[in-house]
Amino acid sequence: MIKFGKGNLRVPQWSRRVFMVAGGCTPFRKYFPEYKLEELVMMGYKMMLEDNDLKLSPKQVKDCIQYAAYGEFADHFQDQLLCEAKIHDYLGLDPLWNTGIKTGGATGGAAMLNGCMAVASGYADCVLVSGWERMDEVDTRTGNFYISTAACKDFETRMGRIYSSYYAPMANRFAEAYNLSEVTRAKVAVKNRGYAMSNPNAQQPGHHTVEEVLESRMSAYPLRFLECCAMTAGSASALLCNEEMAYKLSDHPVELFMAGGTHTLRVADRRHMDIPLLPNEEPGMYDELLKESGRWPGFESFLAARFAAYLAYRMAGIHDPLEELDLVELHDAFTISDIQTYGDIGLRPYGQEPDYIESGDAYYEGKCPSNLSGGLLGTMHAVGATGIWQACEVFWQIQDRYDYIHGDKKWWDRAEKEKPADWKSLQVKDPKQGLWISHAGVGSHVTCGILRKAW
Amino acid sequence: MTKAYEGPLTTKFIGEPSEIYDDAGDFWVVNFPRSITHHHTYGLLTPFFKGLTQGKLLATKCTNPECTENSTWLPPRADCPDCYARTEWVEVPAEGTIYAYTMLDYAGIGIEMETPYWQIDVQIEGVDTIFKGWLKEGKPVTGMPVRAEFNTANPTHTILDICWVPK
Repeated sequence: MIKFGKGNLRVPQWSRRVFMVAGGCTPFRKYFPEYKLEELVMMGYKMMLEDNDLKLSPKQVKDCIQYAAYGEFADHFQDQLLCEAKIHDYLGLDPLWNTGIKTGGATGGAAMLNGCMAVASGYADCVLVSGWERMDEVDTRTGNFYISTAACKDFETRMGRIYSSYYAPMANRFAEAYNLSEVTRAKVAVKNRGYAMSNPNAQQPGHHTVEEVLESRMSAYPLRFLECCAMTAGSASALLCNEEMAYKLSDHPVELFMAGGTHTLRVADRRHMDIPLLPNEEPGMYDELLKESGRWPGFESFLAARFAAYLAYRMAGIHDPLEELDLVELHDAFTISDIQTYGDIGLRPYGQEPDYIESGDAYYEGKCPSNLSGGLLGTMHAVGATGIWQACEVFWQIQDRYDYIHGDKKWWDRAEKEKPADWKSLQVKDPKQGLWISHAGVGSHVTCGILRKAW
Repeated sequence: MTKAYEGPLTTKFIGEPSEIYDDAGDFWVVNFPRSITHHHTYGLLTPFFKGLTQGKLLATKCTNPECTENSTWLPPRADCPDCYARTEWVEVPAEGTIYAYTMLDYAGIGIEMETPYWQIDVQIEGVDTIFKGWLKEGKPVTGMPVRAEFNTANPTHTILDICWVPK
C-alpha cells in the first residue's frame, strides 16, 4: 500500500506565472514519406510562429527563444538516437540549451511540463516545446511490437506484443466493476472519430455508428479496431512564456498550470491504497465502492492520473472540474483509457464514469465536451507530439480560434484534402478554461494541464 | 448487436523456443533474433541521393536576399535554419581536402564495408560544412587532396554511393 508522507503531497507552485501564446502542428498521417522528420517538425514550428496572431515577426519570435523541450517517445521508430540535437540544429536554435524528454505516451505532456518548469524557474522567459513521432518506417505489426516494448519485456511484452492486449483486461474488469456496456465504449469512438471530421489534420475521421464500431475486427477482446488509435507520423509545437513576454507577444495569452503523477509499468504491481481525494470529494464517499472492488486503483483506475489532477486542481484553484472546465482533451488511445480517466479527474465520481458519456455532458454543447479535436482515435497519436498537440487544441479553443485553425481553406489545402461540404464548427461558446491529459503505458506517467484565458 | 466474444478454451505454445546464449553463471542470457525493414524516406533531400547515382555532388544553398548567412549545405537541407527560407540545389566540386580522418576497425553490426577502413572528413571549396565519407584507397593525411568517386554502376541508394580517392 502506497502511503504518502506529508512532504510528498506538496502542491507545486510556479515561482513565476507560465503562459502559452502559440501552437502549431502538421497534418497527421499513417504514412508521410514526403518529408523527413526534421522537415515535419519545421512545418509545425513555422505554423506556430506564423499563424497565432503573434505581435512580432517569426524571426523576431525566434530571436526571443531561450530554451527548448523536445518530446520523442521511441528511438525505435525514429531509428535515430539524439534526435533532439538534429531537430534543434535544423530549427536554427543552436547553441540554446535543449532537453530531450521521454515518458512513453505522456511524452508530449512531459515536454510541456518541462517547458513550464523552465519558465517558472526563471531559466527562460520564452520556451519552445516541440514533439514528434514518425511511426511509418515500419509496418503496423512491427510498430505494434515496438510499442509493446513499453510493457515489461520480461513478464508482459511476449504475452501480447500489442498494447491493446494490456488495456483489454482493464476494459473487462471495468465493465464488471462499474457496469460499463460495450455500447458506451463504442459511443466514445463514434463521438471522437466524428469530431475528427471537422479537423483538417485528422488521420482517421469518420461518421461511424455504434454497430460499426462493435462489428469492427477484434484486436484484443473486448477492444475492436475502431476503439484503438492508429500509428501516426507528425509533429506539434507550443510556445511558453513568462508574464511579461506573453503580453509582449500576444494580446490573447493563456495561463498554464500543470502537474504530473506516476505509477507502475506493470498493472500487476499496483497495490491497494487510499484514494487521494479531489477538492470536491468527501472522505468516506468511496467506502462502499472499495468494499465491492476490494482495491484501488485496481485495474479500473489510474493513480497517476488521479495524482496529477489532485495537484493541478489545487494549483489552479479548481474545486469542481465538471462545473469549472469548459472543455477537456483526454488520452483516448483506447475507448477504455478515455472512460477510466473520467473518474480519475473528477468528471464523475469513481464508479459512475459511463454517465459522463450517457448524460451528454461529454458532447459538443454539453456541460464539458471532450476531445472536440477528434482525439487520438480520430485525429492522431504521433506519440511524442500528442500531449503538445492536445494542449494546442485546448489553447485554440480558449482563444476562440477553432474556426480559423480547423475551417480555413489554407489548412485543408495543406493537408491535401477537400473541406467537407457539411463541415461543422466545434468552437465552444466563450470558453474560459480547459484541461488536457497526457498519458503513458497503462498509467505509468500522466500529466494534467489546465489552460485559462488570461486577457 | 454483436454476439459475446468467446475465446479459445485451451491454448498451445506454437512459437519457437529462444536459444540460451549463455548460462555459465547464475543467469540465463537468451537470444531475441529479429529481422526488421524500415521504409525510410529521403523526403525533400531525394535529389541528393539521386544525384549520387548520376555522378553529381549536390548541395543546397540559401538564396534569400534577406538572409544574413546564405550558407551552402552539405549534407544538404531543404530549409535554411537562419531565415527558414526554402533552399536551392547547387552542384559543388567533387573534390576537396582531408580535414580529419580515422581508421575504423571494430565496427558496429551490419557494417557494409570490409574492415578496417579509413573514414575521412572532406573540406570542399564553397561549402560551409565538412562532408563525411570514406577513403577507398591510399592512406590519409590532413590536407591531402581527394576527389570523389560515385557508385553509378550498382548504386546502394545510400550515402555509401560516394567515396573518395587520392587526387
